[in-house]
Amino acid sequence: MMNLFRQPFRSLLKLGLISLVAALTGLQAVVAPFPPPGQRPEPPGVHALVGARVVLKPGLTNENATILIRDGKIEAVGQNISPPADARIWVMKGKTIYAGFIDSYLTLDSATRPVQTTMTVPIAATSGAGFFGVPGEEKDPGSPGPGAPLGTITPEFRVARTYTPNVKTLESLHELGFTAGNLVPSKGILRGTSAFVLLMEGNPNELILKPDTAQHIAFDPRAAGEDTYPHSLMGVIAAVRQTFHDAQHHDKLKSMEQREQVFPFNPALDSLKPVLERKMPVILEPGSALMVDRATRLAAEFNLKPIILSSGQEWRRPELAKAANAAFIVPVNFPSLPKLPEPDDWDQVTLDQLRAWDWAAENPALLRREKITIALTLHGLADRKAFRKNLQLALDRGLSREDTLAALTTVPAALCGIDNQVGTIEKGKLANLTVVEGDYFDPAAKMHAVWVNGRIHPMAPSAPATDTKAKPSEKNTEVKTDKAAELRTSLGRLTAHSPAKFRGALTNPPALLIRNATIWTSGPQGRLADADLLVVGDRIKAVGKNLKPPAASAVKGFLEIDGTGLHVTPGIIDCHSHSMILGGVNESTLPSTAQVRIGDVINSETENIFWQLAGGVTTANLLHGSANPIGGQNAVIKLRHGAAPEGLRLEGAPEGIKFALGENVKQSNWGEKHTKRFPQTRMGVRTFFQNRFLAAKNYQVGWDRFRKQGGEPPRRDLELDALSEILRGERWIHCHSYRQDEIVSFLRLMEDFGVKVGTLQHVLEGYKVADEIARHGAGASCFSDWWAFKFEVYDAIAYAGSLMHQRGAVVSFNSDSSDLARRLNLEAAKAVKYGGTDENEALKFVTINPARQLKIDQRVGSLEPGKDADFALWSKSPLDSGTVCLQTWIEGKRFYDRTDAAQRATDLQKEREALLNKASKIIGLGGLEGASPSAQAAFFREVWEHARDQHVHECLDCKGHHDKP
Amino acid sequence: MKLFRTTLLAFLLSLLGAAAPASAQTLLFRAAVVHTIANGDIADGEVLVKAGKIMLIGRGLPAKDAQIIELKGQHLYPGLIAPNTSLGLVEIGAVRATEDTTEIGTFTPDVQSWIAVNPDSELIPVARANGITHAHVVPSGGRVPGQSGLTALAGWGVEGIVAKRAVAMHLDWPDMSLDTRPKEQFSDSSKWKSPDDQAKDRRKRLKEIDDFFDEASAYAKARAAAGKDFKQHPAWEAMLPVVRGELPLIVHAEELRQIKAALHWSTNRNQRIIIAGGRDAALVADTLAKTKTSVIFEHVFTLPPRDSDAHIVQFRAVAQLHKAGVKVAFGLGLGSWGASGLRNLPYSAAQSAAYGLPEIEALKAITLHPAQILGVADRLGSIEQGKEASFIATDGNILDIRSNVKRMWIAGRETSLESRHTRLYEKYKNRPKPN
Repeated sequence: MMNLFRQPFRSLLKLGLISLVAALTGLQAVVAPFPPPGQRPEPPGVHALVGARVVLKPGLTNENATILIRDGKIEAVGQNISPPADARIWVMKGKTIYAGFIDSYLTLDSATRPVQTTMTVPIAATSGAGFFGVPGEEKDPGSPGPGAPLGTITPEFRVARTYTPNVKTLESLHELGFTAGNLVPSKGILRGTSAFVLLMEGNPNELILKPDTAQHIAFDPRAAGEDTYPHSLMGVIAAVRQTFHDAQHHDKLKSMEQREQVFPFNPALDSLKPVLERKMPVILEPGSALMVDRATRLAAEFNLKPIILSSGQEWRRPELAKAANAAFIVPVNFPSLPKLPEPDDWDQVTLDQLRAWDWAAENPALLRREKITIALTLHGLADRKAFRKNLQLALDRGLSREDTLAALTTVPAALCGIDNQVGTIEKGKLANLTVVEGDYFDPAAKMHAVWVNGRIHPMAPSAPATDTKAKPSEKNTEVKTDKAAELRTSLGRLTAHSPAKFRGALTNPPALLIRNATIWTSGPQGRLADADLLVVGDRIKAVGKNLKPPAASAVKGFLEIDGTGLHVTPGIIDCHSHSMILGGVNESTLPSTAQVRIGDVINSETENIFWQLAGGVTTANLLHGSANPIGGQNAVIKLRHGAAPEGLRLEGAPEGIKFALGENVKQSNWGEKHTKRFPQTRMGVRTFFQNRFLAAKNYQVGWDRFRKQGGEPPRRDLELDALSEILRGERWIHCHSYRQDEIVSFLRLMEDFGVKVGTLQHVLEGYKVADEIARHGAGASCFSDWWAFKFEVYDAIAYAGSLMHQRGAVVSFNSDSSDLARRLNLEAAKAVKYGGTDENEALKFVTINPARQLKIDQRVGSLEPGKDADFALWSKSPLDSGTVCLQTWIEGKRFYDRTDAAQRATDLQKEREALLNKASKIIGLGGLEGASPSAQAAFFREVWEHARDQHVHECLDCKGHHDKP
Repeated sequence: MKLFRTTLLAFLLSLLGAAAPASAQTLLFRAAVVHTIANGDIADGEVLVKAGKIMLIGRGLPAKDAQIIELKGQHLYPGLIAPNTSLGLVEIGAVRATEDTTEIGTFTPDVQSWIAVNPDSELIPVARANGITHAHVVPSGGRVPGQSGLTALAGWGVEGIVAKRAVAMHLDWPDMSLDTRPKEQFSDSSKWKSPDDQAKDRRKRLKEIDDFFDEASAYAKARAAAGKDFKQHPAWEAMLPVVRGELPLIVHAEELRQIKAALHWSTNRNQRIIIAGGRDAALVADTLAKTKTSVIFEHVFTLPPRDSDAHIVQFRAVAQLHKAGVKVAFGLGLGSWGASGLRNLPYSAAQSAAYGLPEIEALKAITLHPAQILGVADRLGSIEQGKEASFIATDGNILDIRSNVKRMWIAGRETSLESRHTRLYEKYKNRPKPN
């Protein structure tokens, strides 16, 4: 597979983009130059390394063998080789020789940081890519010259263009046994291509074995500047997706024979051709466990050949790593326990941090257990000296030596497509060798030398192989050794649980009968006293009195629940949630970001799922924030706790998109700096929509013409795609709105375009124009009683829900808050309190009405035969403030049970205590000695999956752009 | 001279407003249930009120000369008291000009809240509409932001609504948590500090509190010893009642380390404190009980602070505090959000009751306990003889969201339950159908 690379080079050459003849001629030994007088002469090039233990390749060792090197290449290797007369003899007794180590993700520059997973929603935002701003005041997109419009999309960048070896860096790599590496680009999102280099001094032309090893994509929302698109994870994904569409389009146009116009020069898109043709792999840096799945799915959209840079977090979702069906490049930058000033400071250490610490060293072995191919890398390890110590930790956790050696030699060689030259010790390969005084995997064994391309690089005589051992004082050497052994034993054992232990369906009976409960059907049957609910499989079979269990009762596992005194309601539906979103809920940079998709960033890991299940919630509409007039596409999910993001989606739910009006989108409360983005007034908001919908119409016309008449295909524009779907009635608008005037003017504009609005969200002054809303047919999804947090909500009243209901609008109450989502049943009670809505109707505000608004009422929202068996069981009326949710079921599976929840909490506490005990023991045994500041800081590294779990209070739409109260 | 007379007149008028809010009438309240809070419920109970004060409670009370207030089928509760709020100091959170909550400066004990409460804030009638008769208005700002006062939610003018000046001094306990973000996540990397350096800063901040209170004591001592020409300073003057133990000290502390440190400080200095906020209070319930420290608890609906917490950890926190013997009042916290949402105060109590707090304790925590904590239990907080006739009549359990407050009296005077919300409701309910 690895010889595929010749092809792209030829095509690139044809394009006149590069002229590296050396690369084309394939393998070439470096010919010794003839230095002028005054310079040190080159050493002779023939060597015989005699009597070593030679590990030819993982799993194959020759004791007491000889390696012959001639002019940089291995001439022979074996046990019965007599050195030729011209060879310099090296007696290697007691040494072990490995094929020279290779780092397939080599970063020489300390500026290369891992994907940043700290997600505070950006405070500042104006225009991004330089359009839509006030003329003359656009943001500098940071991309001078031709290429992609975004400064972070630079696939044409080539590391090979700037590589020069640096002695100091080389020494530090040699000390760890590395002889070659794939140098990766470090800036941006679509970053450019890496180059495979020999780690030695010399002429860069000769050191670069492969100039374009792979294209690199880092899913990093912090790659762009503060106010620049893309600035959220979903924005990054959208930007990458658009770029690949553009590259496909570019290529298609190029391949067309006749063109009227001059073809645009675009080196960025040109450079993606070999990637789209699978001739060059892409190395993806997903940054988190869930993003592994998303990144590989994105790669699959364009049929790319992915390799994944591990975040070290795959233990959270090993099945997603496995499903990626790609090799992983794995850093060994394990976090260390932190030094904390006071014992009480451990209180702020989370269970998740302790888990991440305990799992870290286990992760490489875990990936291997999942039969995933791994290569190891130094990347991310600020303190490179910790490499061998950390390797030992990984080995102690079950990573085999053979796999480890492969991960340093054969695997990276194959991943970089250069395994015909490096990776094993065999005849004809480059003489890249790693020589150790003993076993490399014993951190105490000293490095002896590395050979790169037939040239020895001895270690500095005094250089210690590792700094893990404290200086032994004579008295207590033994004690220290014992302590070290005990420390190793402690670190070698996994104490943490997998998150999977605490999620998933609790019961899944083939059939279920709840007897004698008060059943709030939210359907035509209304509220039934002393009634039964029969569920078979994942559907409701019947609701009514004295139901007979069907034949299914004979089925093993049939379940009957005595509902006497209890209440049953449909599972609650939250029509406005931001709780399960990964990496930022707002792509707040551009005024239209219709191309971004919440569906790309569903967070299945957050505790919010469990907390909301415990409040009877079964379905949620995940929405983009309200920072721009046209936000991102929504995702409707079911809270099937334990399922991965794709498994949470409510299949077949109609597509939607977030729109917003008023103060947030005109940046009224964003501070004095934000006065440059269009629109800044409610007048401009309407103008903006009109502009984008007309743009979408023209776009459609272009496509229609192409479909009918052929010719040049139009460029696929993901923003206008989404807006066209709205025009075609295939995507529903959920529009954040406040004041009566903006509501009416928006409805009228949409009517002009023939668009029916799905829901008006918040719609705080909707009660003033309830008739207009009802007549248009838009749903009204509001807060029950929030008001006065900004000027446009000064007229918000708690009676709004009842008033709009009375005027014939379909009304729901939503949460917009991870807290409130846990008690939407009690929010519904406020419709009874304010305006006297009938209790059955009030409950519908959080059941069938949001289902109707989301057009999913055929499946969910009421307890009717044939519908999904999504329901909650309550101790009292769901509208009684004293009620407690006892059980929550989705599709006939029990996902929440109050009794089990108590046990779950106890188990979580126990796990945390066990981990804290372990930590304290390890610190007592000297486990912090030599822990670098960066390894300690890594302990606190935030992961996207849990970045939003601990927010005390959320009110995203109150302020529009940040979520601190 | 004329100016003097005008001022005097204004002064007399204001005295009149402050001193005579009560109705001089005799009133007899008859309700389906009288919830005395202090002494149980009385079915078909009666309360006799004279000149704004409760005279008798029971059944078959002498009704002579009394105006009978028939509350058929309704419940009579003492008015609800909302502790620790910014009500009246803020109108619209996002509009800076309408905000008077937060002063600058680290030690400003001479700042007083009650003089800046806007009696015509639209937020006040909205809170009132759900049964809140009194609000404890608290200044925000630095370490010692100033003094709070108690406001009645009806009356004429800023002086007319004052129920009690100088209820407490406030101390905002410093943040004790460590910022564990790695250096590269700081936009200004020079701002990054190691945990040890942060611990040092933390000790420094705690020492500043000690220093300030030591200096306040020294001032009090010097003042007592000095003669007439003693140079007064308003800030130290404001601290005198605190030093003398006459003015309660409310310490705002949320997280475990803060509460522990505040309790430690209070014991060391022999300074009684009240904890406000108290997110993690249940974790030190026993110490709070032992030191008889009351808590204004504001975090029933806060998400579980720790990822190993039970999901109901905050719902059940007050039940645990009560069980340990800690006196608790519910609050919704300072700032615009708590002020505009103050009408939901009873539902913090209701949620706690759903998770183990006895219902009577939940009721006490929004009536009698805040009155006791704020030092006004001689006048407010329960239906007891001699207390003010500040009542609400409801059509159901006040803890149930579906119930409505039907009428309200503050110091015997009936108060309107109309608000911006009811006015807009009436207006738009009656909007003619457009063609």
